[in-house]
Amino acid sequence: MPFLKTIQWVVWKDLVCELRSRETISSMLFFALIVILVFSFSFSMDQDAARQLIAGIIWVAFAFTGIIGLGKSFSSELQNDCLEALQVSPIPKGAVYLGKVLANFLFILSVEILLFPLFILFFNLDVVAELGLLLLVFFLATLGLSSVGTLFSALTVQIRAREVMLPVLLLPLAVPVMIAAVEATRGILNGDPYSFYSQWIQLLVVFDIIFTVVSFWLFELILDS
Amino acid sequence: MNRFIRYIQRYKGWFGGAAAICLLVGLYTGLLVSPPDYYQGEVVRIMYVHVPLAHTSLLAYSILFGGSIWFLWKRDPLVDNMCQAASSITALFTGLALVTGSIWAKPTWNTWWTWDPRLVSFAVLLLILAGYMMLRRLVDDPDKQGIYAAVLAIVGGVDLPIIKFSVEWWRTLHQPMSISTRGISISDDLLLPLTFMSLGCWLLFAYMLMVRTQMLYLIELLQAKKGRLLSQTHFSQSAQ
Repeated sequence: MPFLKTIQWVVWKDLVCELRSRETISSMLFFALIVILVFSFSFSMDQDAARQLIAGIIWVAFAFTGIIGLGKSFSSELQNDCLEALQVSPIPKGAVYLGKVLANFLFILSVEILLFPLFILFFNLDVVAELGLLLLVFFLATLGLSSVGTLFSALTVQIRAREVMLPVLLLPLAVPVMIAAVEATRGILNGDPYSFYSQWIQLLVVFDIIFTVVSFWLFELILDS
Repeated sequence: MNRFIRYIQRYKGWFGGAAAICLLVGLYTGLLVSPPDYYQGEVVRIMYVHVPLAHTSLLAYSILFGGSIWFLWKRDPLVDNMCQAASSITALFTGLALVTGSIWAKPTWNTWWTWDPRLVSFAVLLLILAGYMMLRRLVDDPDKQGIYAAVLAIVGGVDLPIIKFSVEWWRTLHQPMSISTRGISISDDLLLPLTFMSLGCWLLFAYMLMVRTQMLYLIELLQAKKGRLLSQTHFSQSAQ
C-alpha cells in the first residue's frame, strides 16, 4: 500500500473508532475540567495573578490530558490483538507512526480548542487579540507532544506498568516543549510584542522537526520487535 | 568466552590502578597543596570533586548514547550489556555531581538549589536515566529490553542539548544569572589537581563500566546455561 494512503487509513480508523466509542476525547475533556477546577480551588486569584499563572496552568492541564489521549492511542490496539495485526500487515511502519501522530494531534488539539474558552471563562481573562498566534502555539506544541508521545505510547504499551511509565518517560523529554509553550502563551496573553516570544515559536518548530524525524526512524524498531 | 570480555578481564586492573593513582594525586594536590581561593576560601576545594564528576557524567552519557546507536545497528548483546552498565554508573555520577554541586552552592550562592540552566539540565538528565533504569526492569523479553532502552537513550541524547538550550533561554529572559563563573579564570595551582581528578574520574568510570559489563555478561551466560540445564533435566524426566 502506498505511503500516503496508509497514513490516511490509520487516521481514518482512529477517527472512526473515536466517533463510535467517544472514549478518548470524553475522558480527556472530563479530566481536563477537573484539573481546571482543582487549579481554581488551589489558587484564589485576582485577574493580575491569573494572567501571570494562566499560561502554566493551561499547559499543565493540556500536557496531562494529552498523556491520557496518547496512552489510549496504543492501548486500544491491544484489544483483539490489533497491535499484532499492525505489526504483521505489509504496510510501511513509518506511515503507521505518522498516521498515529496525526490522529493523536487531532484529538489533543480539538480538546485544547474546546477547553481554552473555559479557561478564559473560569479565570476571568480578557479575550485575546492575537488568537491566530495562540492557535499556532497550540498547533506546534501539540505536534511536539504527539510526535514524542506517540513513540513512547507504542513503547510503553508493550511493557508492564504502562500507565505509569508513559508520563515518567515522556515528561522529562518534553521539558523544552513545555517551557516554550508556556513562555509563548504567556507572551501572547500579556499582549507582548511578537519579538518577545518569537524565539519560543522557533524552538517549537525545531523541536517538532527533530523529534518527528527521530521518532519516525525509531518507531519501526519498536513496532517490529 | 567473548573476545572483549577476555580483554576486559586482562586490562581492567590497569584502569582501576591508574584511576586510584590519579585520584590520590588529585586529592593530595587539591586538598593539601593548592592554595585556598581568594573569594571562596577553603570551600573552593569541593570544585576538585564536583567539576570532574559533572564532566564524567556527560562523557558517560555520550558513551551510553553512542552504545545505543551501535546496538541498534549491530544488535550485539554485549553492547547492550555495556549500555545497561553505563546507565546505572552515569546515574551515579550525575547524582553525585548534583549533590556536590548543591553542597558547593550553599556557602557560595547561599542556597541549596537554584534554577540555573546547568542544574536543571542535570536534574532532567537524572530523571531520564531513572526512567531508563525503570524501563529496563519492566520489560521481561531481553531482546525487546535492549531495543526499547536504546530508543529511550537516543531520544534522550538528542533532547539533552535542546533542554539545556531552552532552560538557558528561559532563565536569561527572566533574570540575569545571579552568579556566573565565567569571570573567574583558573590559575595553574588549581589546574593541576583538576586535571588529575578529571583523569581519575574518567578512568574510574571506565573501570566501573568494565567490571559491570563483565558482570552483566556473566549473569546472562549463567542464566542461559541454567536454562539449558533445566530444559535438559525436564527433557530427560519426560522421556522416562
